[in-house]
Parts: sequence; C-alpha cells; structure tokens
Amino acid sequence: MAELYPSLAQCAIVAGALKVLLFPAYKSTDFEVHRNWLAITNSLPVNEWYYEKTSEWTLDYPPFFAVFEWLMSQAAAYVDPAMLVVKNLGYDSWETIYFQRATVILTELVLVYALSLFIKSTPLANKSAAHIASLSILLSPGLFIIDHIHFQYNGFMYGILILSIVLARRQSKLLSGIVFAALLCFKHIYLYLSLAYFVYLLRVYCLDPKNFLRPRFFNTIKLGVCILGIFAIAFGPFVQWGQILQLKDRLFPFSRGLCHAYWAPNVWALYSFTDRALIPLAPRLGLTVHQEALNSVTRGLVGDSSFAILPEVTSQQTFVLTFLFQLVPLVKLWRKPDWDTFVGAITLCGYASFLFGWHVHEKAILLIIIPFSLIALKDRRYFSAFRPLAVAGHVSLFPLLFTSAEFPLKTVYTVFWLILFLFVFDRVAPVPERPRIFVFDRLSLLYLTIAIPLIVYCSLLHQLIFGFERLQFLPLMFMSSYSALGVLGSWIGFMVVYFTA
Amino acid sequence: MAPPTPSHRPRKKRKTPTAPGSNNNLIIDIGDGKQSPAFPLVSFLWAARAGISQWLILPLTLMAVGLFRWAVSLWGYSGFQVPPMHGDFEAQRHWMEITTHLPMPKWYLYDLPYWGLDYPPLTAYHSWLLGKIGTAIEPAWFALDESRGFEHPDLKVYMRATVVVSEYLIYVPAVVNFLRRYTRMHGVHAWSASIALVAILLQPATILIDHGHFQYNTVMLGLMVASLDAIMAGRMLWACIFFVGALGFKQMALYYAPVMFAYLLGVCVFPQINIPRLINISLITAAAFALLFAPLLLGATTIEARKDFASAPEPPLLQSAPIALDKNSVAYAVLFQLTQTVHRIFPFARGLFEDKVANAWCAIHTFYKLHHFDTSLLQRASLCATLGSIIVPCGIIFRHPRASLLLPALSCVSWGFFLFSFQVHEKSVLLPLLPMTLSLAGDGGLSKENRAWVGWANILGSWTMFPLLKREELCMPYAVMTLLWAYLLGLPPLSLETYRSRSSPEDPSSHFELNIFAKLLHILFYIVMIAWHVGEAFVPPPPGKPDLWVVLNALIGAGGFGIAYLWCMWKLVTQCRQIDRRGAEEENRKKNQ
Repeated sequence: MAELYPSLAQCAIVAGALKVLLFPAYKSTDFEVHRNWLAITNSLPVNEWYYEKTSEWTLDYPPFFAVFEWLMSQAAAYVDPAMLVVKNLGYDSWETIYFQRATVILTELVLVYALSLFIKSTPLANKSAAHIASLSILLSPGLFIIDHIHFQYNGFMYGILILSIVLARRQSKLLSGIVFAALLCFKHIYLYLSLAYFVYLLRVYCLDPKNFLRPRFFNTIKLGVCILGIFAIAFGPFVQWGQILQLKDRLFPFSRGLCHAYWAPNVWALYSFTDRALIPLAPRLGLTVHQEALNSVTRGLVGDSSFAILPEVTSQQTFVLTFLFQLVPLVKLWRKPDWDTFVGAITLCGYASFLFGWHVHEKAILLIIIPFSLIALKDRRYFSAFRPLAVAGHVSLFPLLFTSAEFPLKTVYTVFWLILFLFVFDRVAPVPERPRIFVFDRLSLLYLTIAIPLIVYCSLLHQLIFGFERLQFLPLMFMSSYSALGVLGSWIGFMVVYFTA
Repeated sequence: MAPPTPSHRPRKKRKTPTAPGSNNNLIIDIGDGKQSPAFPLVSFLWAARAGISQWLILPLTLMAVGLFRWAVSLWGYSGFQVPPMHGDFEAQRHWMEITTHLPMPKWYLYDLPYWGLDYPPLTAYHSWLLGKIGTAIEPAWFALDESRGFEHPDLKVYMRATVVVSEYLIYVPAVVNFLRRYTRMHGVHAWSASIALVAILLQPATILIDHGHFQYNTVMLGLMVASLDAIMAGRMLWACIFFVGALGFKQMALYYAPVMFAYLLGVCVFPQINIPRLINISLITAAAFALLFAPLLLGATTIEARKDFASAPEPPLLQSAPIALDKNSVAYAVLFQLTQTVHRIFPFARGLFEDKVANAWCAIHTFYKLHHFDTSLLQRASLCATLGSIIVPCGIIFRHPRASLLLPALSCVSWGFFLFSFQVHEKSVLLPLLPMTLSLAGDGGLSKENRAWVGWANILGSWTMFPLLKREELCMPYAVMTLLWAYLLGLPPLSLETYRSRSSPEDPSSHFELNIFAKLLHILFYIVMIAWHVGEAFVPPPPGKPDLWVVLNALIGAGGFGIAYLWCMWKLVTQCRQIDRRGAEEENRKKNQ
C-alpha cells in the first residue's frame, strides 16, 4: 500500500495558512467570552472563578476548561497583559486577536494527532477511506466557520473526543473512558454522548463480552475509580468550598428558551414552522391563536419563540424524547458491542439530542457530523445517509456569520468542501453487502439540488424583493426548516442502516 | 486502447507522454515500486493523476485560490486611515467617483493634484462601470467631492469584490486558456498543467499587490496573457486587440511592447515577407487604438467640452506642436483631449525614480548621487540603457518569431525595463514575473532547474515589496502567502529539495538539475533575505541613515533582478538554439527520406 497524499500534515499546513489569514475576520461575542475567561482565571483565585460577573459572559464551562484558559493566560501575560484585566470589557487589541486566534490554530493540533491515530488504528484494507475521512474532518467547514471565524475551541474538544473514540477501538477501553471523562470536565455538551459510552464500556469492559451475566469486578473497580478520580480532581475543590450548586447553576442554565437565538435545524424548528404556517389557516380550522406569540415569532431573530397555535413544549418533554430516542440505538449496542456499532450509537445519541433537545445551538451539529464522518465510508448506504447531513448541517451554520465580508468565505469554503468530499466519498465508498432498501438516493439528490436556489434566495433575492427590514425572519426560517428536513431525513436513513447492518 | 474504427475520422487526441509526470519529474520512485510526489503541490493534486475530469479539478482549484485571495483582502489596504492623500485604494475609488459624476472631457482635467486620473482610457471606462454599479448599491460611496477619503467596511468589501470579479473575468480565464494551449504545444501532460495552474494562480506578489495593497494589475496582465494565448492560437489580429487593451488599461504594459512589436513584425518578414499580413496587423492595431480613444474624443467635440478646453491650460505636448489652431474649433478640442490624456499617462516631468526601487538607477544613486546631473541627460542615459538591454532579445525574437520563445523574451525585456527605465515602481516587478511564472507550465517547467529559478525570482520579487507592504500592515499576508508558495513548490526557506541532486550523471533527467554555481547563488540570496528580515526586525538603523534597511533591500533586489535578467537572456538563447537544431534535424530527415 502506497503512502496517501496529501498527508494530514500537508493539509494542516495549507489550511493553517488560510486560517492565519483569517485573523482580521469577523469574530462573534465568543471571542470576548474567551478573553474574559482568560482574565478571570488569570487574575482571580480559583474559588472566585464561578462567582465573578463583571462581564455578562460569565464562566459557564466546567473546571478543566477554566484551567485550560488559566494555562493559556500564562502565555498571554507576555503578549499583552491588558487582555487579562477583568474590567477591560470588549478589549481586542491586535496582540489579543493574534494571540487568541493563534491558540485556536495551535490547540487544533490535538485533532490532527487524534486523526493520525485513527488512521493508524484502521486495518490496512480501509486505510485510504480512513485517510479521506480524516481529511474531511480536519478541513471541515463546521470547524472552519465556528472556530476560525466565529471563534471557539471545537477543534481541540473534538480532538479529545476522537482520541477517546480511537482508544476505544484499540485494546485500551479504560483509557478511552478516562479521556472521555476528562472531556466532560472540559465541556459538558458531551454529556449527550455519555449514554453510548456508558453502555459500551459497561458491556465490553465491565461485563464479559461473551456473557453479560458475568461481571468483571476488577475492571469495574478500575474504571469506576479512574472516572470518579477525574471528576474529583475537576469538581472536588468546588465541593470542598461548598460551591457545587453555584457551578450547577452556571453550567445548566435552564431559564433559556426552547429554541436558541437562531433556529437550529431540529424538530422544534419544523414545529415552529408548522405553527407559523397554521396561523393564516387558524380561523378556518377553528383554532385559537395566542396573540402575544405572534409578535415574538415574527421577530425570529433574538429571544425564545413561543407558539401561536400548537401547544407549548416544556423542557421535561424534550428530555423524555431525547432519552427515549437515545435508548433505541443503545439496545443494539448492548446486543452487538463492536466498535463500528459504538460509533454509530454515538452518532445516533448526537442525533437524538440535537433533534429533540432543549435550547439546542446550531453549532451542536458537529456532535453528529464528526462521529458520523468516522464511519460514513463504511459502505454506500452509510454514505447516502451522510450526504444530506453534510449539506444541511453545514448550510445551517451560515447564519452564524452575517457580515458581508465573510459571505464569500463561508459559501465558497463550504461549497468547495462539499464538492470535493462528496465526490471523493462517492468514489471510495464500497458497495454495500446488502442492497439499498429505500429510495433515499433519489430523495437526497432532489434535496441537494434545492440547496442552491435556496441559498441564492436567502442571501440575495430576499433582500432584493423585501428589503432588509421586512420579513427578515423568513430566510432564517426557510433555511432552518430546510436544514431540519435534511438532518431529520438523514437521521431516519441512518437509523435504518444502523439497525439493518 | 482500442484502435479507432476506420468508418469515421478519429478524434484528435492530445499527444500524451508516457507517464503523467515524466517530462517534469513530478513523481519520484522511492524503491519497491513505491512512488512519491516531488514537492507538496504535487501531493495535493496526487489523486488527480489520471481519470479525473477537468470539470472537477478546475472549479476546485479556482475556489481554493479564490479563498486565499479573499482572505488576503480582509487585511489592510494602501492608505487606510492616512489622510489627507490616502493611497491607491483612494485613487481607484476617486476615479470611480469622477468618472461617474463628470462628463468625459473633464476626466483628465478635474482637480489633478488630488489623484487626477493618470491611467489610460480603459481604466477610466472600467472605473466608470464599477462606479455606476457601486452607486446603485450605495450612492454615498462615490458622491462627488463629498466622498473623498471615505472609509467604510462595506465600501471595502465592494472594492475588494470588484478586484476579485475583474480578475476572475479576465486574468483567470486568460491564464486557463493560455495554459491549455501552451501545454498542448509543448506536449505536457494535463496533470502537470493543473499543477502549474495552481502555482501560477497562487503567485504571491500578484495577490499581495492586487488584493492586499489594492490595484487592478491582473486586468492588464490578463489582457496580456489573452494576447499571448491568441498568438499561440495563430490569431495575430486578436493578439493585437488584446495587447492594445492591456496598454489601454495600464501604460505599464509598454514593458511588453518591444517584444510584441518585434514578434509581430517578425512573423510578417520571416520565413518570407508577407505584406498583406503586415498591413492587416497595423490596420487592426490602429483601429483598436481608435476604438479605445473614440468615446473620449467624441465626448470632446461637444460645445461645453470645447469651452472647457479653450479656457484650460494647454497640455505641454500641444504647446510644442508646430500647428496653431483656433481654440474653439473641433480639431483643437480633439487634439487637446488626446494630448492631455497622453500627458497625464506619461509623466515625463517626474524624476528618474521616486521611492527606493530595486533597479539600476537606485542602486547607482546609493553610491554616486545622480541628481548632480541634468534631468534630460539622465533621461537620455536611461533610454540608452533600456534600449541596450532589450535590443538583443528583441533582435532574437524578430529573427526567430516563434511563439515558444515569447515567454523568455518577454521576461528578459521586462527585466530590462524594470532595471533601466524611467519612473519604475516596485510594483512593476509583477510584469517580468508574469512570463517567468507562466513558464512553469512549459516542457520541463516544473523541473528542479526551472522551478528553482522562477521560485527564486518570485520570492525575491515579493521580498523587495516588503517595505511597501510593511507600511500598509500587510506583513502577515506577506509572510503567509510567500512562505505558502515556497512550501507548495518545495523551495527555500522551507525546503532544499530543488537543490539536492538525486539523479546519477547517466540519468536522462540530470540536465534539469541546477549547476553548482546557481545553487550557491540562490542559497546565498535566500540567506541574505532571511538575515535582512532578522536585521530589519531587531536592529534599528543608525540615526544618520534612517533608510538603511530599505536601501539595502533595494540594492540586493537590484543585484538579484540583474541576475534574473541574465538568466532569462541565457534561457532565450539556449531555447532558440534548441529550436534551430531541432528544425535542422527535421530538415535532414526529410531530405534523407
């Protein structure tokens, strides 16, 4: 087997060059959020970290991430000490921008390392597919838009996640569990995936893989001690100081609404869309319209949306739905605990939480796309479920960047990635052992072709027809409903593939 | 491959050499039947070696290079927040302002001290079009007089977008077409052509000047490449039209004019004299010029325009003309417009050089102050030196008017102009760099020898523009684009691959390797460039010589460009000899048959 070109390192270098050029690009409030955290962790004692509220962007990530910020702040002190002052709200000197943007690029090396391990861990016959999948993750438009323009550290976080998934493939389940526990202490969004880990580690590590009635006590104790140890390191001090309830309030702010500021493309977006579409029909159908909700929905841009006709959704209901739809794939994982099923179960847990969760952010789409990419090339059926997700998921990120200068960047980069990788995936994905059982291909082709006129309408025609002021919720709603259909369709498709594989 | 059925004429197949990378050494055998790419750019196109449609590779390439252009354009531009005059960005914006708001006759007369229009008419028309479109979007951007020094992120996006769109409408299609024809002519594999295309479109100097500093050079360069493409296709008349277009967009295209002239004259004389062709070429050139100036001159015949001209000061060219005309006549108005335009385009009254430029005059001036001499003497000296430097390549191209000799001849002559002519800007280095870089697509163009020389000249070229880019806070794009290009092409300072010889003496490809003197020379220059950067960053210049680093940059650059000139000349002579030899061999073979 010849070496594969271009190598991960080569792609990382060229993509790195482009990312450095994006230093002056638009940056969201997340930039200030992270600057503020640098300042908080650098200038305050640990027991004040979660109480400080000079800025509205209080620290709301778990302790490991705070420590990570503290580590970076040590270097930041040499670059520009002014960025480490808590009172310097909105401070963005050139040094600060260079420093913070550079840390995103450098910490992404964890992802490069994890992906290289992933390629190494793949058997020879599938190496080139694994290589291509790794490149697609490394060059992902999701990471490009969210990390390098919008500003976050997802490359680093997903690097740790992939590291843990790859470790689970090798004979080091214990290490995989430890790394995942550490990841939870970095960013608690990954709790959504924890059930899959729980079932998998329980089944293959704590119980005998051949007979689940025979527990392996020593393994169970090892794993339990290690994971509890990690959590103790992270949260122990705060328990000691009696701050754990404050941490809980910061990490899980339940006061937020069902849908986030924009319309994340999930079931609730479709629900709002239906609600909205029913308003003109309501008098004929004899439904009552809640007048106060009308204004809120039309605003669409900021704040939570409440419904005019359909019943309200409570957070408890969303949790029950999420939990139920996570259980379904876990049953199969319990019965057939191999690595491919495990990654499939992680992906499906991501799907369930994204589609049905409370206050889901569109950035959370990476929770599905990135684990899915690892197995999308298993065969053509996986790939055809992946295709609409790749289009919908990335297109749904477009509203994150709304400035005109970044418009060509996000569209050209995403189109570039879609053309390149969908073409290459199409070439390398092997023919499945079982015949394809649904008309998914035709539907997904139709779906893909709609994307182009829709993007043109939303980014250009709408403003020409209605101007900037009127009906500005309309393109957002179209985009998110369209993307929601894609995500939902690919979820159903993947469910079928997962259970028939 | 199945033999073609005799019932129909077989499709004309591109002549392909035996293996995709064979005449450019793109693939290295590393033993055990394993192959590896010769430099990183090859590995990015590794999967495209065979069987992938151009319909996929080309759009992806254009998108990728477009991303880098747009990313560079996010950075600063010339004259950002530097009142009162700002810079080239303001000049271009100002031209859009005056061309959209003033009648044509005033274009070359309006408030000349504030960025008066001093480019040829095609630039004016181009500005008019962009100004009209921009005004439709936001009238405040180009409001007459009110908008001077206007700076707004949206205006920046619009202006940057106009550069990208102009480039993608003119330069990019021209280069793509040219490469297709040129590589076919040289029997170079399509894969190798794709690699060359990426290398050419990522050329750092052009991106930094057009998308960083802010100018529309690629329009002029694109028209020039279109003209070359027409020559390769044997369409001499189109070549004339495109070349007049290039001249009409930016007078700097004059650097190319002697070669074009010599070539077009040459094809009418050798191998046999062809008078109708000569007449055709001259007529079409004259017609193209007439068309170029027609709107301006027609505009000059109106009554208001004649009044304006009668009261305006006479352009110097008209003053020195031996004829005296009625100031209110149509003829006077037309002549006035013409001479005023020419006067604006060619500023003879300015000095030998303005800023520190890496050319011969600036280099001599450092050691021996030239302003003791009379300006006219200097002008004459400059003219003679330029003529001296271009006479040989022009002579060769006139005697051997072959399309494949055009690239070395063009680079050689434009180096001559850059080094010796009058009023050279550091940005003019783009002109000699273009034909040199295009040669990457030729036979052996991506071989170690050519890649090393072209890469060296390009990196030296961007390096000499560093003082300019630094003023505009473009250090980061400079570093990224230059290093990225060097990395992709396997050049120093990131790789010494081109300077390591792998092949044994009996290897047929060894004549593509550099000789030892060239290696030492290049490495020396790279070391000096790095040392200069270190010095410039950390060592403040002595109080008496505040310009020390800039002058050093210009001196080293001038030396390097002199060497580049000589190399292009040598290349031209050897290629000419090769073609002659091949021609003679073919003659012999025919005779023997």
